[in-house]
Amino acid sequence: MELNKTAVSLSMLSKVYTVGDVTIEVLNDLNLKVQKGQFAVITGASGSGKTTLLNIVAAIDKPTDGSVVVFDENLNGKDEDFLADFRCSNIGFVFQSYNLVSTLTVAENVAFPMEWARKPQAQIAKQVAELLRLVGLERRGDHFPFQLSGGEQQRVAFARALANDPQLLLVDEPTGNLDTKTSQVIVDILRKLQDDGKTAIIMTHDEQVLDLAKQRLRLESGKLVEQNG
Amino acid sequence: MDEIVETFFSVNDLLRRKFQTSLVIVSLTLSVASTLFLLTFADKLGFGVLAIAEGKLTASFSIIFSHFISFLSFLVFLVGAIIISFLVFLMTSQRIRDIGLIRAAGCPNNLVFGYFMNELFIVNFAGCALGVILGVIADIASTNLLSSLGFQIPQGSTSIWLVLFVFATFFVVGLVLGAKPILDVTKITPIKALSPTYYLGLGKVVRFKAASKSGLTLKLALRSLSRRKSATFRIVLCLTTVFILITVAVAGGIIANQTTNSWIEKAVGKDVILIAHRETCDQYKLLLSKFHESIPDAPFNYTDERYVISEYLVGNLTSISGVRKVDRRLVLSAHVKEIRGYKIDPETSATIPIGDNRETGSLVIGVNPENMVNEWFLDGRLLRDDESFESIVGDSLARKIFTMPLNQSITLSNRSFDVVGVCLDPINNGNVTYVPLKTLQNAIGATESNIVLAKIDPLANYTETLNQIRTKVITADASFEVFELNKIVNENLGFIGYLWSTIMFLPMFSLTATCSCLTGYVSLVLAEQQHEFGVLRALGAKPRALIAIVAVQSLIVLVSSYAAGVSLGIITTLLILVPEPIITSYTVIEIASWLLVALAATFIVCLYPAVKLSRKPILEIMA
Repeated sequence: MELNKTAVSLSMLSKVYTVGDVTIEVLNDLNLKVQKGQFAVITGASGSGKTTLLNIVAAIDKPTDGSVVVFDENLNGKDEDFLADFRCSNIGFVFQSYNLVSTLTVAENVAFPMEWARKPQAQIAKQVAELLRLVGLERRGDHFPFQLSGGEQQRVAFARALANDPQLLLVDEPTGNLDTKTSQVIVDILRKLQDDGKTAIIMTHDEQVLDLAKQRLRLESGKLVEQNG
Repeated sequence: MDEIVETFFSVNDLLRRKFQTSLVIVSLTLSVASTLFLLTFADKLGFGVLAIAEGKLTASFSIIFSHFISFLSFLVFLVGAIIISFLVFLMTSQRIRDIGLIRAAGCPNNLVFGYFMNELFIVNFAGCALGVILGVIADIASTNLLSSLGFQIPQGSTSIWLVLFVFATFFVVGLVLGAKPILDVTKITPIKALSPTYYLGLGKVVRFKAASKSGLTLKLALRSLSRRKSATFRIVLCLTTVFILITVAVAGGIIANQTTNSWIEKAVGKDVILIAHRETCDQYKLLLSKFHESIPDAPFNYTDERYVISEYLVGNLTSISGVRKVDRRLVLSAHVKEIRGYKIDPETSATIPIGDNRETGSLVIGVNPENMVNEWFLDGRLLRDDESFESIVGDSLARKIFTMPLNQSITLSNRSFDVVGVCLDPINNGNVTYVPLKTLQNAIGATESNIVLAKIDPLANYTETLNQIRTKVITADASFEVFELNKIVNENLGFIGYLWSTIMFLPMFSLTATCSCLTGYVSLVLAEQQHEFGVLRALGAKPRALIAIVAVQSLIVLVSSYAAGVSLGIITTLLILVPEPIITSYTVIEIASWLLVALAATFIVCLYPAVKLSRKPILEIMA
């Protein structure tokens, strides 16, 4: 019963950028529904608007037109404080370029979303240890991001995204910058999250990641096209 | 050909990075403009004060004003140089990664150096040139504004030499300090330059950790400061100099104002009534008013028999219960001459002559040391008794005809008097010699005095006592007059207050200039951290969380600089600028309040770029 509920609903979504005299229509009357507990994997050419779409779902960016409903919450027109809280509690975002905070250690990078959620210190410490174990970096907690490899930084980014146990994961090219072996580690993490019943929207070109998807889509000319696995 | 390519690359690169380029140019412009403005304003103020004070004040007062303005000008210049060197260093430090990238792509070292030196040259030149233009405009505008408000600021044009000096110095400082990071990075391998370990200074891992329980805001702020040690050290140094400037300007101004006020009040005496023949009374008032008014010297016969104060009148005044002291004085105009003194060389035991045989006209006042109603700010000691051959000279006279007055003597009516003290006294602009009354009377063959100063007891009823004095004086001789010296003291204090209020524009402008420079600095620092702030926002930080991080960061830097700057500023003020300062609890509260206002103003200004940044869309912050 729970699985049939809609986690993300985008309808008639448009995003237009204007650069000088040139207008670029990135998303055009796009519709998408992702059910709770499902992994939607989206592919598309570079510059097709995949990251823009993720940014809009995460309320980091605003659509030019159309509505964004995430877990029954219409995000259009909400103020910045509400959106910040909403992101912190409900959404885990894994950026393509990891975006770890260079001045914080691995453990602190994982901990800070929980600190914003005002969780008790003891719970934060326990959760950080569990998440680092999940991504296989339990011995790297005191290291700084620049002391990690790309794959390790990506795993820290996953741990950070899972910090507040969000219902929705937004993952941008999780294996795009990684070698096959490291990619496999990331796929394993994603598989575990899928088994745990998480909802995710993943942008990727990686076949291994595509295999995880119940819903495969392709972003073309600003619209999503269903693809059968 | 290579040079053209280098210039094109540099210009195009600067144009591509419009925001960063404009930010640096604006920051440089503000720093150069504010420094030039403050220097030209201080220059004009110095001339203004000299012009206002011409033929007025005494030598020591003029010296305090000129020291104060010169010292502030020096600090203003120093602050400008530090801020500018910091800005260019920050600008070039931010390009280290780009330099690494270009080198990694195969560009030879000399070409890379040329590209970025050209950029530095263009930005530095634009900032300095726009800065001097803006500085001159600000100078003209503020001079006109203050003149229209009634302040006497000279209207002359800005000194072209000062403009050129500021431009050339800051341009060279900018080039030399900006070139250093570029030169450093061309000496290391491209991979090292590309690594955040190098360009963020993260290689020097400081195992500094905020307590695990400290909030995320504090942790982020502390980490950011402690891991960017070089930048933090520079801004602390820069702000410390700024706070020294503000402290010297504010605390020095307030302390110097109160101290100089106290000197005048004490030198004339509080609640002192002048009793003399109407003409002598007018002359004495003129002598005291010379401190705040230019009055030409006119001959006056002080020894006219009509001016003699009778013993009867003195006796009547002494009998009034509200009168605490009656100070009889004999005022004369005389010719005085310096007598050479001698000192022993401590190493060779040889006798060294001091001074010359200079001579001049001076006001000479015979006083009874035991009954004096005034106190002086004095270098040396008071006269010992009524019959000694000792003298105290005013500070202007001391500077005019003495080399080391306390080791010398003075000749008056063919008698020699040892100089035992140098006093600050506004009468006759400090061109005065005090000698014991009886000795003076014996020297000129007089037996009486020509003025009396009566000090009213602070516990007595002032008006009632004054009326009693008036009655006694008029009864004794109708041609005599009673005059309250408080009136002239207040006029003198008003004049000193006016001079200080004009000078205090300097610290106010310094603070404004500092705030504008700091805004530029914080904007640059934020530009460096902007991406991470964007990430924090994307992951759930509210806009005010960013402001809080910058606020904590700024507060840590500000408070540490404030503590160092204020301490050094106070020490400088007390040790160098104002001798024997007068500090009351009110002074401390007044100074503390002003300095706290300065801190609060700087803090608020620091936050402005952060507030602006926090309101931007997240993607724009992350871009």
